[in-house]
Amino acid sequence: MAEDENPLAEFEQLDFLRDRHVRFFQRSLQVLPERYSSLETSRLTIVFFALAGLDVLDAMDVIDKNNMVEWIYSLQVLPTEDQSNSGRCGFRGSSHLGLPYTTKGPGVAHPYDSGHIAMTYTGLVCLVMLGDDLSRVNKQACMAGVKALQLEDGSFYAAPEGSENDMRFVYCAACICYMLDDWAGMDIPKAIEYIRRSMSYDNGIGQGAGLESHGGSTFCAIASLHLMGRLELTLSRRELDRIGRWCIMRQQSGFHGRPNKPVDTCYSFWVGATLELLGVFQYTDFERNRNYILSTQDRLVGGFAKWPDSHPDPLHAYFGICGLSLLGEPSLRKVHPALNISHRAFEHLQQLQRAWRDACT
Amino acid sequence: MDPFRYVFYRDRKDWSDLEPVPQDDGPNPVVKIAYSDKFTDVFDYFRALLKSDERSDRAFTLTADAIELNAANYTVWHYRRVLLQALNKDLREEMRYITAIIEEQPKNYQVWHHRRMVVEWLNDPAEELDFIASILSQDAKNYHAWQHRQWVIQEYKLWDSELEFVEQLLEEDVRNNSAWNQRHYVISHTTGFSNKDILDREVQYCLKQIKKAPHNESAWNYLKGILQDRGFSSQPGLTEQVLELKETHCSPYLLAFLVDSYEDTLENPTSNHKELLCKARELCEMLAREKDSIRREYWMYISRSLESRYGLSGNPDSAATV
Repeated sequence: MAEDENPLAEFEQLDFLRDRHVRFFQRSLQVLPERYSSLETSRLTIVFFALAGLDVLDAMDVIDKNNMVEWIYSLQVLPTEDQSNSGRCGFRGSSHLGLPYTTKGPGVAHPYDSGHIAMTYTGLVCLVMLGDDLSRVNKQACMAGVKALQLEDGSFYAAPEGSENDMRFVYCAACICYMLDDWAGMDIPKAIEYIRRSMSYDNGIGQGAGLESHGGSTFCAIASLHLMGRLELTLSRRELDRIGRWCIMRQQSGFHGRPNKPVDTCYSFWVGATLELLGVFQYTDFERNRNYILSTQDRLVGGFAKWPDSHPDPLHAYFGICGLSLLGEPSLRKVHPALNISHRAFEHLQQLQRAWRDACT
Repeated sequence: MDPFRYVFYRDRKDWSDLEPVPQDDGPNPVVKIAYSDKFTDVFDYFRALLKSDERSDRAFTLTADAIELNAANYTVWHYRRVLLQALNKDLREEMRYITAIIEEQPKNYQVWHHRRMVVEWLNDPAEELDFIASILSQDAKNYHAWQHRQWVIQEYKLWDSELEFVEQLLEEDVRNNSAWNQRHYVISHTTGFSNKDILDREVQYCLKQIKKAPHNESAWNYLKGILQDRGFSSQPGLTEQVLELKETHCSPYLLAFLVDSYEDTLENPTSNHKELLCKARELCEMLAREKDSIRREYWMYISRSLESRYGLSGNPDSAATV
């Protein structure tokens, strides 16, 4: 070995740098430089990655929960006094429209103000993680907002103005209904039809009918069916086995999202969680998966990237950590593979739902 | 005075009637993005326009500035579409505009959705296949591009040259999974796979590509995909062909294909039941031990399942297998 070679190059560094990741998420919750401007309308999803990451790391004590809860509620689109915006309620991704800051109703009329399905989903999840009781969420309005977004083919738009429609938003809708314990916002049979039609000839699931099967959309579909309580009702044993086979073939070291594509840390969750829901994650190669995820860890600033020697970001940091959690990494909380929150947060949600049901009887 | 120096909206005389609207994150902002003066200025005026729902040419011009700063802001794009219609703007020019933006940012959802809307309004897909081909020439697996392509083809019935296009892409990269998917898409929507000549042609096509590049999951997935519900046995002699390939062009996908074909046969009671089960389990062992060792636990599980389901003893740990 030449003198000037890095002597550590021979060794993969396989230690999980918990404290760095805590600080990474803390920093993402503060101020981001302008180069993150494309994330403006989805800032709430960044909050989700950071909070959920801290939750799995069992480090939520570093957060001012009350402040965060207030900020999230300021993003709720509430019904106006004249109900002119019914069907447009939910949560915004950020304050980008310039409405005056307020955490209470009634809603303020604005020609372009409406919720975004992914922000309603992440808003609710963040509130649950923060221990909030969702009492300030206008659940009826959220449900009406979700219902208004479902298309004839069973899929969902992201926003009432119109947008693309695909499996991502089916998943968001399923999570919202699941959390609010109310499926009035979804025509389940139609959604299931959309999922079935998105199954590909190669046994993976695409974003829509005819589209290439993909690890992300496969997760969205399977997780949605699980949340609906329809996974084994909708798919035969043979179909479940075939989907499981497609998924398990995604492991190359870590996982990739499509055949003949490079691996990417986040698929350790998307595909890993799907495999867990199908009962076959136990048959994957834990060591190679772990080694890959840790090879994308940024040892200096914390977080994880899609590939080694690349810049970390909150999304890959969160899913890298979830990927490790699925593998049983000791310092990490367990993650619910369909709802994508820690078991701790999931238990809080179950308590809330019990209380709601008791209140009705 | 330099006519090309950028002037803030707040300093423009023809905007002085409008009161800029700042973002308001309250006392404890979270994930706050530190915008430059220029960025803040453009969007403060954007917010002002939105508030009063102004429909004007100056608003339309501003949306281009806003898009340049943040092409992922879906509200800006929506507002721009409102203005395109309200002001009866030239949609051909808009096509030129969106073409340029997509070239710069081909992985952005909003730009593709915008293009789809303009194509629908014009009801003219004439440029689409060439445009998408151009984007794919830079990234042959861009999911947005393929999604848009499938929409255009289905909506405007542009099936005629698509198989040729797919074959060209597979010539360039036989491992392009998106192209294999498109192949299936085109054929299922045109001739279908039920016609025996078509099915034969497709099986032969797969085998040819496999001989060229044996380690290609896409080709094997396609072969299995078109046969699995018609019964692997619907193709007489195929298993023999694959067994031959096993000697010279082996891969984990070939072996898995054999396991699946044997299982398919086992589903219908046959005379050489025991022999087939044995062969299938041996293949699983080969996969677990050496040919696909990353999935060692899985192939052992498959072997046990096969024994459990088709073994006469009903004991999955029977025989000298895993």
